[in-house]
Amino acid sequence: MKSGSNLERLLRAGHFAVCGEMSPPQSADSSSIAKKCGYFKGYVDAVNLTDNQTAIVRMSSVMSSYYVLQCGVEPIMQMTCRDRNRLAIQSDILGACSAGIKNILCLTGDHMKFGNHPEAKPVFDLDAVQLIQMVKKMRDEKQFLSGDEIKQEPKVFIGGAANPFGEPFEMRVLNLAKKIDAGADFIQTQPVFDLARFQKWMDAVREEGLDKEVFILAGVMPVRSAKALHYMKESVPGMRISDDYIKRMEAITDKEAAMEEGVKIAVEIISEVRQMPGVAGVHIMPVMWESITPRIVEQAGLLPRPELPADEPAVTGLER
Amino acid sequence: MSKVSENFAKFCEKHPRLYACAVLAENAFKKPVFRCQDCGQCILSYTAFTCPMRCPKQMRNGPCGGTREDGRCEVYPERHCIWWLIYRRAKRMGRLKKLRRIQKPVDRRLQHTSAWLNVFAGKIDPPSWGKD
Repeated sequence: MKSGSNLERLLRAGHFAVCGEMSPPQSADSSSIAKKCGYFKGYVDAVNLTDNQTAIVRMSSVMSSYYVLQCGVEPIMQMTCRDRNRLAIQSDILGACSAGIKNILCLTGDHMKFGNHPEAKPVFDLDAVQLIQMVKKMRDEKQFLSGDEIKQEPKVFIGGAANPFGEPFEMRVLNLAKKIDAGADFIQTQPVFDLARFQKWMDAVREEGLDKEVFILAGVMPVRSAKALHYMKESVPGMRISDDYIKRMEAITDKEAAMEEGVKIAVEIISEVRQMPGVAGVHIMPVMWESITPRIVEQAGLLPRPELPADEPAVTGLER
Repeated sequence: MSKVSENFAKFCEKHPRLYACAVLAENAFKKPVFRCQDCGQCILSYTAFTCPMRCPKQMRNGPCGGTREDGRCEVYPERHCIWWLIYRRAKRMGRLKKLRRIQKPVDRRLQHTSAWLNVFAGKIDPPSWGKD
C-alpha cells in the first residue's frame, strides 16, 4: 500500500472503481463545493478536482480538494505543470498531503491559448512524465527533486492521464509505458466516444502487459446534446467521437429526452468498457453537469459502492 | 567524455570570447538545420533529430493529448505536432526505442549555453548516435 487512499485500497482489492469529477467554483465562495459533494458521497470512490481546466481560472485544486475531504468525499487532486514551476508544485504537494489528500493526478495541463488568460506566461517547467517521476521520488525516496531529504514524505497514490484517441496511435501506448516507468499507479483516460479505438488501444496495452502494471480507469463523459458532441468533434483536438452517437443524439429534438439519451449512452459505454480485460474502473466526467453522476452510477449497476475498513490489507496478489 | 575534451570545454569556459565563438558555430549549424531553441541540453539524438523544444508546451517525453487527427498541433493548427513528426521520423530511421527513455527535467541554467561543450564538460548526458 503506497498511500492507503480509498481508491488505492479498492483497486488493490480488485473492485471496479468509480471516480467522479468536479470543477471548482470561479469564485471565492466554497459553498457550491459542499453542495456538489452530495452528488458524489456514496456514489463514487473518489472525485477529481480540476486544476484550472482549459486554462480558465478557478479556485485552486489544493483548496477545493481540502473542502471536498472535509465533506467526507475522497479527492483526487489534479496538478498541472502549466502554472507552476518545480518549487511551487512540490510545495503544493506537501501542503495538500499535510491536509490528508492522498491521490494526485499529474498532468501537463491545457495550453493558455484555450483559456481566459491567453496572454499569460506558459510555465511548463516539467512535463507530465517528469512530474510523475518527481512525486514518486518525493514519496519513495523521501527526497525533493533537488535530492534534499524530506522528513515526512507525501504518501500519495500517483495518477497520470492517457489519451487513446490522439495521434500517432503507437505513441499513445509508448507514452503510457513511459508514465508507468516514471511511477504512475493509476491512469485515467480521455473520455471514450469511440469504443473501437479504445478497444484497439487496450489490446495494444495488454499486448505489452501494461494493464498488469497500472490501474486503468476509462473516461466516460455524459453529454446533454448533439451540439456538445459536435463541438468536441470539431473543436477539441485529440478527441474521437463515433458518428453513431452523434446520429443518436441528433435524432432527438426534445431537450429532456436528449439528456436521457446522453445518460443512456454513458451507461452503455460503461458496460462496454467494464467487460474489457485490463480496465480497472471508470472515471465519469460530466462537464458542468455533476448532478447526473448518481443516476449514471446507479443505472450502470455500480451501486452500492464497496466500503473497506481502513486497515484491511489487499486481498489479491495484484502487484501494481 | 575524455579528459582532453573536458579540458577543452573548461578552457573555452574560461575564455568568454572563445566560448561565444563556440556558441556561434553551434547555433550557425543547429538553428537553421534543427530550428534549435538553445536549451543547452540537446536530446536530438534521442528524438530522431527533431527538436522537441519547438513544442508550445516544451514536451520532452512525448506528445500531449491534443494532437489533431491530421497530425497538427492543438495550439498552432498551422504547424505539425512535433511529436507526430518525431514519431514518424524515428520509425523511418529505426530509432523508436530511444523515445522510450525518460528525459530529465530541463536545467534552466544551461539555456543559451553550448550543448556540445556541455557534453564535453560532462554536464549533460552524451548523445546516443547509433540506431536501436
